[in-house]
Amino acid sequence: MFKTGLIFFPAFDWAISPTHPEREERLLYTRDQIFEEGILDQRKIVEYTPRLAEEKDIQRVHFCVPNIAAQTTTAHFISAGSALKLGDALLAGAIDNGFSLVRPPGHHAMRVVHGNRGFCNINNEAILVEYLRKKYQLRKIAIVDTDVHHGDGTQDIFYHDPDVLFISMHQDGRTLYPGTGFVDEVGGPGAYLKNINIPLPPGTTDKGFLKVWREIIRPLLKDFAPELVINSAGQDNHFTDPLANMQVSSQGYAQLTEELKPDLAVLEGGYAIETALPYVNLGILLALAGQDYSYVVEPQAQKQQIKQELQVERYIDKLIAYWQKKLAEIPPSKEELFSSKLIYKNSRHLYYDTDNIREQQQEEVSYCPDCPGVYQVISQSDRASGRNYYLKGISIPLYACSACQEKGYEIWERAKKEKGYDLCYLQDKKNDQYFREEIRR
Amino acid sequence: MFVGIDIGGTFTDGVVISDQEVIKLIKVPTYDDISLSIEEALQQILAGLEPQKIEQVTLSTTLITNLIMQDQLAKAGLLLLPGPGANPHQLSFACAYKIINGAVDYRGRVIKPINLTEVKEACQYFLDRKINNLVVACKFSQRNPSLEEEIAAFVQKNYPECKVLASHKVSGLLNWVRRANGAFYTLATQEACRTFQEKIKTTLAKLGLHCPLFILKADGGTLPLEVSLCYPLETIFSGPAASTLGALACTEEKITAVVIDIGGTTTDLALLLAGKPLLAERGALINNYPVPVRSLAISSLTLGGDSSLLIEQGKLRFGPRQGPALCVGGPVLTVTDVLVYSGYSEIASPALIKEPVEETARVLQLTPQQFSEQVLQMFVAQLEAKLEIMFKTWEEEPAYRIWQVLSVQKERPQTLICLGGPASGIGKYWSEKKNWQVVVPAFSAVANAIGAALAKTTLKLDFFADTERKTYTTNLGGLQGTLAQRLHNIEEAKEFTLQLFQEKAKDWQLVPDMPVETVYAEGFNIVRGWQTTGRIFQIGLQTVPGIKVFLKGARQDV
Repeated sequence: MFKTGLIFFPAFDWAISPTHPEREERLLYTRDQIFEEGILDQRKIVEYTPRLAEEKDIQRVHFCVPNIAAQTTTAHFISAGSALKLGDALLAGAIDNGFSLVRPPGHHAMRVVHGNRGFCNINNEAILVEYLRKKYQLRKIAIVDTDVHHGDGTQDIFYHDPDVLFISMHQDGRTLYPGTGFVDEVGGPGAYLKNINIPLPPGTTDKGFLKVWREIIRPLLKDFAPELVINSAGQDNHFTDPLANMQVSSQGYAQLTEELKPDLAVLEGGYAIETALPYVNLGILLALAGQDYSYVVEPQAQKQQIKQELQVERYIDKLIAYWQKKLAEIPPSKEELFSSKLIYKNSRHLYYDTDNIREQQQEEVSYCPDCPGVYQVISQSDRASGRNYYLKGISIPLYACSACQEKGYEIWERAKKEKGYDLCYLQDKKNDQYFREEIRR
Repeated sequence: MFVGIDIGGTFTDGVVISDQEVIKLIKVPTYDDISLSIEEALQQILAGLEPQKIEQVTLSTTLITNLIMQDQLAKAGLLLLPGPGANPHQLSFACAYKIINGAVDYRGRVIKPINLTEVKEACQYFLDRKINNLVVACKFSQRNPSLEEEIAAFVQKNYPECKVLASHKVSGLLNWVRRANGAFYTLATQEACRTFQEKIKTTLAKLGLHCPLFILKADGGTLPLEVSLCYPLETIFSGPAASTLGALACTEEKITAVVIDIGGTTTDLALLLAGKPLLAERGALINNYPVPVRSLAISSLTLGGDSSLLIEQGKLRFGPRQGPALCVGGPVLTVTDVLVYSGYSEIASPALIKEPVEETARVLQLTPQQFSEQVLQMFVAQLEAKLEIMFKTWEEEPAYRIWQVLSVQKERPQTLICLGGPASGIGKYWSEKKNWQVVVPAFSAVANAIGAALAKTTLKLDFFADTERKTYTTNLGGLQGTLAQRLHNIEEAKEFTLQLFQEKAKDWQLVPDMPVETVYAEGFNIVRGWQTTGRIFQIGLQTVPGIKVFLKGARQDV
């Protein structure tokens, strides 16, 4: 029998603050709806108990500043751990797909974590991907992010990883937090076109949503042929979401889920806690379990006809044409992409909306013909209040060649002696070893 | 003195317990009319006793279970108001249904009105099929019963020949499928229950017994006979609850153990965790249909002392019961015979079955010792496999709060309490092979009646209030309403819940000083547009389930 695993962790005893959108109440009505339906009595849906992630699972992905304890609560460990638990059940063959219906969310959390961004501290999907790749020797994984906000954290973490295809469809960054996710953010030189952004115009309906899926994302997934597909299942494209401006319904989400057939779906955002979440979550769960979701119609959708405006339709068609052309081109070689200096350098500012922090980063990836190459980041926080940190992080990729692995350790040894850093980090994903050093001045 | 009567398939057992000791044991046949068995049992119990010394009689009855299993249910039809959600045709409803319009949402707001023409058509549909018991079940009716009430009133008025029951009267559980099925089984068994209750009352009066009479529930608590009429379903499957509580009464208060009840045909497994029986996460099933009844987490397997031993293609396997064991005059070799042959049971002389055991062993090209060992090993392996599933289910119980995830310390029991005929033999074998403490209590043959006699009366109240909508609901069918007072904080909500609890406690005839446990208590801010517009409270109260007194010296370790 086809089985869908479910971990429902509404964290009824956790909130960012009493009136924050990310509060105890968020999944209360979802609980009511899903329990009341009686569908959990069906043997097709197997409910699991959550578990805590381990520190190492977080180190595999993040440089938490100054440490993991400062960036997490128990709820974060449970939220991340729930996805890992379903991943284990999936790979053990106990379930055929799974839904981690949990809070807090994670897709805005980047590799370096100075604080909370977009309600996220640690990235549940990235932690899941790195855990599964390490534990089960998987290589190619695709993440499809259907939250209304650009999944900038996940993009950041896998930006230079050619084995992770990250696709985000979201409301255009010119009109919504976090203000990124444009078509020219295509992945680092070693992972060209492994990062695909589809910035949709406000007012996109089920029609546009599904068209983008069918005409851009589906062919992309087919070409990439991942061993596993993960869905960052944010639900704020809903036409009633208070923080965004899209027109998608629970039917649109359910249909997308049915066609996408993610191996694992992980809840992200969605703050229309009454009008959207009970119905969208139910729709996704039914679609995953192969059940009929056609009766899942929100009361508001019964009353009003949602129509996609012509200009929205035209914009989406242009976006689709853009991507179809781009993906049909012969890609430049890795060497061409790295340019003559054979080094990738990037300097940027990042904004932490929840914790009021501005971060200055310099990133560097050195070219290697045999592997994705060593990644380095230098980061300085500028907080509205509280202590700032200046740090260096080095990351040796999971499939690094031994020369790059060695090089990573050399940089690490040097960095610790260099003046100025408060903290140094080394991620050796290849050997699954993680180091952090606090440098006393 | 407490009296417990357990009505089994073949025999009805009765015990009288006084000062932590079993002072009387009786056994009578179970008749088709179980009230006759109860009468006979009570007569024997009362012989030589003063009726006024008996404080309480508790029955563990198979009345409802039998009605259901023998398909003697009154016919009924469901009028369903699903509203938005899962396809109702893919849900497990226990009888014929008609879908009609009208819907309530999770907050109890009517989001779609009903259409009385549709109601009429649905009633006519059932009446044409000679079905005049009707259940009305609306999703979220516990949050707002108005649609169910309107339809029920309409049916009663226009079709006086119909009996109608609204699902919110049966249960307030968040699961409309279970509520609908619960209402169906309640309606379909209520008449038989009423008759039974009247007979029992007459019997008690005839025998001069004026003490309260309680019925054992599937979750191991008891409820008064009068209340059981409103909730007849609560009394199904009380047998395993009776034996598990019996096992508890024969050991000690905080025991953590597996209770294994081995019968002739089947074996039931249950868990006692720090003296509390483990409950099934979602509730009971009747004929695979989910119902809103809390029950013990019982795992059953079709394997018992009388299971036959078959050889198929040179391999040994267990077959169905074909009669009693060979050593006591049965037709074929059974598990019990092997226990006798290998010295684990002394119910008969091994000489009686020496030849057939040796013959079977020869067919399998084994020595008789190897053969016996293989049979017992296979038997225990099947129990262990079932236990493993039970443990896994227990370990995977969902948790919705951080404290629940953190508080799990689920250490698997290493103590086995054996009940039933072949239990002592299997227990001895188990204790030899595994690193477990094995207990075969005294009175293990009447553990069910002991469990019934000593079970505490229990009441559980799940309270849910929405101060913005000024409504409250509970898990108890019919107990819901409007909040006349404002509940400002969790303390006030707890106070209000406790008052409701204490009112119900009177109907339930709870001992006044029984400690009430808060299972959970939480408040949610309803925030709209950054403004707190109300609060939602969820509070769970219960009396701690368990045993009134523990029997002295009943624990006997192997």
